[in-house]
Amino acid sequence: MSCSLSSESNHALLHTKTQIGHEIAVDIERSELYCFACDDQVYDPDFDRAVMLEKIVGLGNENLEGIRSSNKRKRLGFEGGLSSDFKNLKRVGGGGGGGGEWDHGRRLSKSCFPVGLRGLNNLGNTCFMNSVLQALLHAPPVRNYFLSGRHDRDSCRKNSSDRFCLSCDIDVIFSAVFSGDRAPYSPAQFLYSWWRLSENLACYEQQDAHEFFMSVLDRIHEKEGKTRNTNKDNGECHCVVHRAFSGLLRSDVTCTTCGYTSTTYDPCVDISLDFNTNIDHISPNKPQKSTDLGVSTLTSCLDLFTRPEKLGSDQKLYCQNCKERHESVKQMSIKRLPLVLCLHVKRFEHSLVRKASRKIDRHLQFPFSLDMTPYVSSSIVRKRFGNRIFAFEGDEAEFSTNFEVFAVITHSGMLESGHYMTYLRLNEQWYKCDDAWITEVDDEVVRASQIYLVFYVQKPNSGHKSGEDGGCHLRSSPSGDTFVSIAGCC
Amino acid sequence: MRALIILVLITEFWRIMSAPDEDNHAQVASHFFGELLDSVIMDVASECHRIATLGLDRNLDDEEEELRLSAQARARVADPSNSEANSKYVVDIFGQTHPAVASEIFDCMNCGRSIVAGRFAPHLEKCMGKGRKARVKATRSSTAAAAAQNR
Repeated sequence: MSCSLSSESNHALLHTKTQIGHEIAVDIERSELYCFACDDQVYDPDFDRAVMLEKIVGLGNENLEGIRSSNKRKRLGFEGGLSSDFKNLKRVGGGGGGGGEWDHGRRLSKSCFPVGLRGLNNLGNTCFMNSVLQALLHAPPVRNYFLSGRHDRDSCRKNSSDRFCLSCDIDVIFSAVFSGDRAPYSPAQFLYSWWRLSENLACYEQQDAHEFFMSVLDRIHEKEGKTRNTNKDNGECHCVVHRAFSGLLRSDVTCTTCGYTSTTYDPCVDISLDFNTNIDHISPNKPQKSTDLGVSTLTSCLDLFTRPEKLGSDQKLYCQNCKERHESVKQMSIKRLPLVLCLHVKRFEHSLVRKASRKIDRHLQFPFSLDMTPYVSSSIVRKRFGNRIFAFEGDEAEFSTNFEVFAVITHSGMLESGHYMTYLRLNEQWYKCDDAWITEVDDEVVRASQIYLVFYVQKPNSGHKSGEDGGCHLRSSPSGDTFVSIAGCC
Repeated sequence: MRALIILVLITEFWRIMSAPDEDNHAQVASHFFGELLDSVIMDVASECHRIATLGLDRNLDDEEEELRLSAQARARVADPSNSEANSKYVVDIFGQTHPAVASEIFDCMNCGRSIVAGRFAPHLEKCMGKGRKARVKATRSSTAAAAAQNR
């Protein structure tokens, strides 16, 4: 860092030596702090807050130039605007994560195999159903709900005029599967009920497991919605399905002409991911051939999902600021993570043009432990503004961003004649659930499989309680200080 | 802020250019190129420094490890001598064996007949009058009946 008087002079350094207490300097080009004692760039939340407030004030005066020019670098065509987040600058207090759902049901059965492990008979091309049922049976919030008898079949039958209730049928399956009986169970009633409730999907044909999963969640929610009162405060549903799987997606659409961003929120029960064809990892072990494209990873699919996407010129959206249609850039992020995160890998491509479908057989690497921090809204929006230390309204501090896999549904074979299986992780051992067959497998077999649906559950925050500033997702140093190298250095 | 930098650069520029020395012009050009290059490099360095210091970067070691494990796993599973991955099942973890078609027998909840589990879905489809075959059968018999009537 040099003095602005002349790039050759070392006046800046001399100044710090002659004037005690003047060790901190400001890089006015980049709005960054430099400490001559540490001989390094340093970071301070109050300074960042001041920088951000300047930008906000700049927007308020409709002087959007102020924002654009203070960005360090123009990102590839994407200039961030501000949304209504900034109206409320409250810092959100930190708190522990939701931990209650994690460890229930980890009782070891007498026979040294985990409870709830039981094969499901294939009733005729119903592996799509069996695979989803196995995952649901071991989704901690769903499992805890049904095993603690929260769905009362008797009162459900009495109070409801509907003849079919998937929650009742699932409750029966839970009782059967967790009974300790190890002979394979036939979920025939469940299939019948589901067919009666889903007329359009009822046929003896291989179904898409994801479509089936969505349909089941829908039916359970519908039924619960009639019997329970939804929470009137924020319109959120508290049925078992939504308490387990429901998250909130944020969509920011920015006008490329004026930088004004409009934000919308949509609930979701899963996230469908496209394959990321821009391969970022080249396998280190294989020799580089011209056909070797490298490995696709689940995290790169999540990167793609949250990447700013320039909308086509045929998709010009109306900008409230310009009062005209302009080209825009859209960016997705996750405002609220669910307790159970279901990631759907879009392997089945349906082309309307060619009226044909095909399956993408490409292997997808996935982690057993997943940190969702880079994909949450606060991280994505913060990144747009140069990663300033700044608390946004309603930072997602209450929820843990660390997830652990517990079930993987795989598809093998061709599009029309394939086979679904579920791998379950119980007590750190993987079990393969292939219809009636339950076998133990190594980590390797699961890693090498062709994943289609992956289920992660939130890990409770360990140790990081109210002391941490909930406003920012920063790694703590070992001594527990939230920020690195501030006052302690000089 | 940028205006200030540009002002400083312009001041320097005029200071140097006021000397009539021709050689200086090439020097000045390369000097400014150097300044601009430094500025761009500093931009990137500053951003990366912020990301690294605040712990916003992904843990690359973990990612590398995951990739290595994944590659290793695929190699082992693809190995034809590896019996575990692709062999036919002998017994499950509870010591049981199961036939290719599930043999449990129970009553159909639609019609009451006894059905073999592994054939329940195709039976149910016909039983409920759904599916292509059931519909085709129905139309064939109804058109046949209609045709018979019309004669």
